[in-house]
Amino acid sequence: MKGAILKVTENVANPIINFLEKGLDKKCFDAVLIPVKVPVGNSFAWVLIQNKSLLEDANPLPPVMPVQGAKALSSITRMGKTNKKIAAIMRPCEVRAAVELSKLEQVNLENIFLISIDCPGVLPLKDYLERPEEAMDKFNEILLGACPERSRRAQNDIEWGNESTRPACQVCDKFVGTDLGFCQSDLHIGILGTKDKNIFLIPNNEKGKSILNKMDIEAEKSMDNWEKKAKELMEVRKKKKKEVQERLKFKVMGIDNLLDVFSNCINCHNCRSACPICYCRQCYFESEKMKLPSDDYLMRAKSKGALRFLPDTLLFHLGRMTHMSLSCVGCGACEDACPMSIDVAQIFSFVADNSQGLFNYIPGKNAEEPLSLRIYKEDEFHEVET
Amino acid sequence: MNEKFVPRIVGFLCNWCSYAGADLAGVSRLQMPPSLRAIRVMCSSRVNPLFIIRVFLIGADGVLVAGCHPGDCHYQKGNYQARRKFAILKNIFESLGLESDRLRLSWISAGEGPRFAKVITEFTEKIKELGPNPAKEKVFL
Amino acid sequence: MSKVLKINKSAEESVQELLKFLLKSGKVKGVFTLRKINDNGAVAYSLVTSLDMLKDAVPLFPLMPANGGKLLSRLTLRGSVAEPVVAVVRPCELRAFIELVKRKQGSLENFLFISSTCSGVYPLEISVNGNIDKKLSQYWDATKRNEIVPDTRPTCKSCEHFLPYTADITIALIGKKDIGNKCEIFLNTEKGQKFVDGIDGEFVEGKLESEEVVSMRNKRKDEKKKLFDEIGIEKFGLKGLIETFGKCIGCHGCSKVCPICYCNLCYSDSQTYEHKPFVYEIELKRRGGLRVPPDTVSYQIGRLTHVGISCVGCGLCADVCPANIPISTIFLKVGDSVQKMFDYLPGRDVEEQIPVTTFKTEEFVEVED
Repeated sequence: MKGAILKVTENVANPIINFLEKGLDKKCFDAVLIPVKVPVGNSFAWVLIQNKSLLEDANPLPPVMPVQGAKALSSITRMGKTNKKIAAIMRPCEVRAAVELSKLEQVNLENIFLISIDCPGVLPLKDYLERPEEAMDKFNEILLGACPERSRRAQNDIEWGNESTRPACQVCDKFVGTDLGFCQSDLHIGILGTKDKNIFLIPNNEKGKSILNKMDIEAEKSMDNWEKKAKELMEVRKKKKKEVQERLKFKVMGIDNLLDVFSNCINCHNCRSACPICYCRQCYFESEKMKLPSDDYLMRAKSKGALRFLPDTLLFHLGRMTHMSLSCVGCGACEDACPMSIDVAQIFSFVADNSQGLFNYIPGKNAEEPLSLRIYKEDEFHEVET
Repeated sequence: MNEKFVPRIVGFLCNWCSYAGADLAGVSRLQMPPSLRAIRVMCSSRVNPLFIIRVFLIGADGVLVAGCHPGDCHYQKGNYQARRKFAILKNIFESLGLESDRLRLSWISAGEGPRFAKVITEFTEKIKELGPNPAKEKVFL
Repeated sequence: MSKVLKINKSAEESVQELLKFLLKSGKVKGVFTLRKINDNGAVAYSLVTSLDMLKDAVPLFPLMPANGGKLLSRLTLRGSVAEPVVAVVRPCELRAFIELVKRKQGSLENFLFISSTCSGVYPLEISVNGNIDKKLSQYWDATKRNEIVPDTRPTCKSCEHFLPYTADITIALIGKKDIGNKCEIFLNTEKGQKFVDGIDGEFVEGKLESEEVVSMRNKRKDEKKKLFDEIGIEKFGLKGLIETFGKCIGCHGCSKVCPICYCNLCYSDSQTYEHKPFVYEIELKRRGGLRVPPDTVSYQIGRLTHVGISCVGCGLCADVCPANIPISTIFLKVGDSVQKMFDYLPGRDVEEQIPVTTFKTEEFVEVED
């Protein structure tokens, strides 16, 4: 693996912003899609930037993910390709979601230059909003854990995805945006494994290489250090994921457990709205189809003695699972949006891992690979036939 | 005040009266500032308050809703309901400290070409006093 | 003066008793009430038809997992209930249901409404942390002492309409010192009197609008003023709006739980709000930068114009907001001011027309130019 090295001046974000400014100057791209601090500074929002001065408040690695990046990208390109070339700086799970959405024809990746970045995880939105400044410090510490030399107190890589990050981030093993992380960005920015004050630019394909060329950046340096560190951390995460999923199994398996877990659900469907994969303009579960005559409800109540109202909470969650689990990237946006703090993301990504395993399908890995439900083989799944 | 500032006013004109009034003003060659972007609607009550909010936030310097005079509505009572909706919207703008002066409701009949020109001139002057809509520049909307 | 049924049991037990009586005697076939759904203390609205299941009913539990009015509308959206059903809901839920019925999203037929003088509910957050059981004694103590219950929703603390307007039966709770062992149940309508006919208890005359109620209303009014002063929305302007809604993540959860937002597909979720890329590019050129997805502010003001007139101030919108935006306070304030224009109180009377569906020929001439 070959790449380029950028010098870090003040913080990790600086060289990236400089790189983007240069890209805009050299017309490598016309606009940048990047998280920017909102005016009061207590959160971040996706902003499409053409005017360089706006990059001042931009942060390529914000501590939170209020809106999944793929959703932002989809809102621009859902109706077709952009005329302007846009560079989108997103976390690997956002890039993977964007690739999935492109397969679902909700994102058009033509003229989009995807830049991924090593992800240390994000903090739960609630924790951040309660005390933004404190949370920011906490996040910076996590971030610096990648390169002990830069940290105030020496820390190891395990700090990435530590307990203060989203549960989904703690067990994420696809936090890099190269083939290693089954992610298909055009250019990846590596933070892990730098001995001195550097970050890495790793082009993943010709598109990435040509842009670096255009900017006179040579990408011939060895990336072994980064690769080694990323692989190490990946192993740690894989192990952790296994442990967590073992524990989760006991919590959710079986109808009683499932009902228990979702008992607090208030049917706000925030999970679905925040989900990057749930792109339907109107969800089936909010449609006319789910609005039944009163007799229907009364009859169901009588047959059991009581009917929870609204009923069909589990139907919604299981239904949503069948609809999106093959493309679930495990970003954890659903859990962040849940006002009742239900472990939606953990449950969904656990189920998704299993169903994706059936087809050996990894969402977002390859834009050319068709969705598993769009194709079939004549000779498969005989075990489900009787 | 910027002398060169030519306000952009979006006008929702009712098909039966105000749009015809605008036409008459045009064919009568009445002088008025070139500030209006007219959108023809079948009735002033067709204007969802959201339309107004949307053009306001996109950056229209003023929004005009124009319909038939009370009692003359082609659909009997559309303009009365438009007036209620407009009154509510104006109240909401005031409650939130937004410039409700950028919104205007006027009754202009098909024969009132001169009145149409007067309304546009007046409203344009008023908007000129207010200056460009600050929403135009906002990135976070 | 209205008829009052006195039961010598605690308020919780008395309501249980009343519901049991109604269901057992066959006067109603179903009970719509809050009910414990598992041992972890989760409560949800339920439609109960068997006496056995009624044991878990907690009709006065200070939590609102969903607006009961919205749920009743779902129950009766496709036609009224065929058999009599008693619904135990809070005043704001009842008002929301009335508003929905006016919008043809439900039917009042065959319902018997029980409501209470309401001390408010706790934010959903409290139930998530499992702390609500600890709060229960505090809740009832404050109710007895005729004080605003601390830690309840901000809109509850400042709610003046805590007496139900259209309930057939009202449980008197506020300022009743002995609700631990006595309960006064006001029978506001003939229907209510007919339904309780035959129940064990003492019938007397009483007045719901007691001194305590009046003093509580004043306390709430003061609280409301304080709340509004604190947030100061009239000074918002564009800047304030952008700052307040800057955190919005666009989940539109507030509209999903709002009892008044009944549209199948919200206008701002519709195709009208999806743009071809060139639209973004035009805006981009002009502003230099553009938030995506856009329309955070326009969504909120838009929703205000659509539901402000009927906002009952239940406070669910702020409860479900993942970004902790005080939506309910903003809606309550703007709702108040819009409703005052028409002297309209949402949910006061089902016959009262929604102002936007009607008009007077001589009004609001001041907005014409």
